[in-house]
Amino acid sequence: MTIAVLLIAGLPLAAALASWLGRGEALAAPASVAAALGCFAAALVAVFGLGAAEGERALGSIVYLDGLGGVFLLAASGVYLLVAVYSAGYLRPGVGHVRLRRLYWPLLNLFGFALVATPLADNLAVLWVAVELTTVVSAVLVTSEGTDASLEAAWKYLVIGSAGLAVGLLGIVVLYLAAAPVLGGSFSPRVTVLAPVAGSLDPGLARAAFALVIVGFGTKVGLVPMHAWLPDAHSEAPSPVSAMLSGALLAAALYAVLRIGAIAEAATGPTYVHTLLLVFGAASLVLAGLFALRQANYKRLLAYSSIEHMGIVALGIGIGGPVAAYGAFLHVLAHAAAKALAFFGAGELLSRFETREAAGVRGVMRTAPLAGVMVLAAALAIGGMPPFAVFRSELLIVSGGFARSSYFLAGLLVVVANVAFAGIYRTFHVMVLSPAEGASERAARAPQPLMGAAMLGCVAALVALGLWIPAPLDQLLQSAAGVIGART
Amino acid sequence: MTAAPHYDLAHALAALLATGALLSALALLGAKLVHEQVRVYAVQSALAAAFAALAGAHHGAVDLVILGALTLATKGWLIPFAINRQLTFEAAEHEVPLVIQVPTSLIAGAALAGFAYWSAGALHASGALVPAPALGMPIALVLIGFLFMTTRQNLISQIVGLLVLENGVFFATVAVAPGLPFAIGFLLLFDVITAVLFYAVLARLIVARARGTSVIDLNTLRG
Repeated sequence: MTIAVLLIAGLPLAAALASWLGRGEALAAPASVAAALGCFAAALVAVFGLGAAEGERALGSIVYLDGLGGVFLLAASGVYLLVAVYSAGYLRPGVGHVRLRRLYWPLLNLFGFALVATPLADNLAVLWVAVELTTVVSAVLVTSEGTDASLEAAWKYLVIGSAGLAVGLLGIVVLYLAAAPVLGGSFSPRVTVLAPVAGSLDPGLARAAFALVIVGFGTKVGLVPMHAWLPDAHSEAPSPVSAMLSGALLAAALYAVLRIGAIAEAATGPTYVHTLLLVFGAASLVLAGLFALRQANYKRLLAYSSIEHMGIVALGIGIGGPVAAYGAFLHVLAHAAAKALAFFGAGELLSRFETREAAGVRGVMRTAPLAGVMVLAAALAIGGMPPFAVFRSELLIVSGGFARSSYFLAGLLVVVANVAFAGIYRTFHVMVLSPAEGASERAARAPQPLMGAAMLGCVAALVALGLWIPAPLDQLLQSAAGVIGART
Repeated sequence: MTAAPHYDLAHALAALLATGALLSALALLGAKLVHEQVRVYAVQSALAAAFAALAGAHHGAVDLVILGALTLATKGWLIPFAINRQLTFEAAEHEVPLVIQVPTSLIAGAALAGFAYWSAGALHASGALVPAPALGMPIALVLIGFLFMTTRQNLISQIVGLLVLENGVFFATVAVAPGLPFAIGFLLLFDVITAVLFYAVLARLIVARARGTSVIDLNTLRG
């Protein structure tokens, strides 16, 4: 396990250093792709080969990986790999719009490091630092296109995100206080220390701690009403960065909420934690689903869809029970692949049509058939159509809701998901399948192989998980659901 | 029968420092000029540093004393110095545009402080140095930091508001969780410095685009 963990965390760091010190982009791109590939492979070995579902420690008391962390580690490392491959194509001359080229690769790798470090951290303070690191690094990446709008978006993101995380840290301090009567005045706030005594924590302080944590870290998840930064940052960042933000960053912050929620749940009883998750989840699902319908900017539309999907995960875990929680954790993986595909497709559209406005994009299928197919596949996938994995995960959450007699919540999910799908699909349908109106040479450029490969990778993952869940993954998802969600 | 709480010089000093921190937060709401706001932050950080050192002396924890010294060096001096260096004379003397005026801000700040003490009272949290509600002042600092950030339309003011909010968390940590290991306190301090560095880079980029340090114009992204 130690070697696997060292590779998972060390390769992105090494790639960040190499791409910072190395001269030119010729080395940075292949080094980053190789590091991301190694990181993902090591994550697969750590999660499936070394029994992470049972809960494993490594590097003394620094690393703890269990089923819950395993799901989020797979999402983070998988998106990091896909984004690295896509970026290698997107940064080619004449393709994407990235001005901060010197900083792009070092920061992307550092971002990848922070994302994979989050689910590995045993110590809650280290977990907090990892999430904070994702903020500062990704905020600079958001400005990569160098536009006024991207600077504004990055500023909002930094200010709102950091303020939220400060509240999250206060939540960790209060949790520490809740455990002090049991563990004494001086102990390390580690998951493996707190979880065994979680049932004995002061319930009042544990309640306050989780409330602060869900508001604080929930700001980074994009839960409504703390989501104000998210549409701007997702929309103005270069598309591969948007994919990383949506597919991995939101999930990393959600991991922090759930990890601390699992401890608080044991102290307060399940009702309190699950109710808060339900309230924030349902609000995010409904409001973001409706906001998505009125977006003229297709990247903002995808951003609101991300909030909606985080709401679905929170709702699934909030409903609780083995089926809905299982579906929610599958949704984390499905959302990672689907939103990466969607933002990759948005990157194709932006690089070809040079506008974020849906009205400015027409006839994609005629001018760029591969991009057109991928964009339509993304719209169908995030909308929850079969055979994609999002369909399966949402169906499981709805089934779990009915099984637990949560008819209203399950019905709400069905209605909002379908309304949002209709709105999202309609926008992309018009962009892709309407007749071309004097397509420019740039719009009709040949497909970029690396970008195409990354998108095909997303589609393959979405279809595979939609049709078949391998036994080790099944065990991992059940294990994650056992940490939080299933115990109600 | 329970023993009456024993108050000595350390408790009196802790109460004095906590009161000073709360007053500094209210003073911040009254400061209109950017350089005044940075100065108030420096004073508040020095109080935070003294609080950590006092807690260290009281608990016999050398790591807290070291953390206090590092806090004084970084948040009391380095960060205010770095921010001031970013400011031109015009920007420093610039009267920050306010969403709500100073008297209203002060009333709102006092109301938030009252709410903070009331909500902290419900938690029954106490520390070795600070009696219950020990989290009253830290929560007040967090809320006033939020108020300051959202009502001061200036990039530097927003950074200061965020740092005050972070000071609130620091006070909370030292007051009720002094056992949090030194390495973690140091990590958090390092994190603040890193965040300020990134803020400075972004603020420079925005100012370089001739927007000034006001965020009034940062409103093109809506919907």
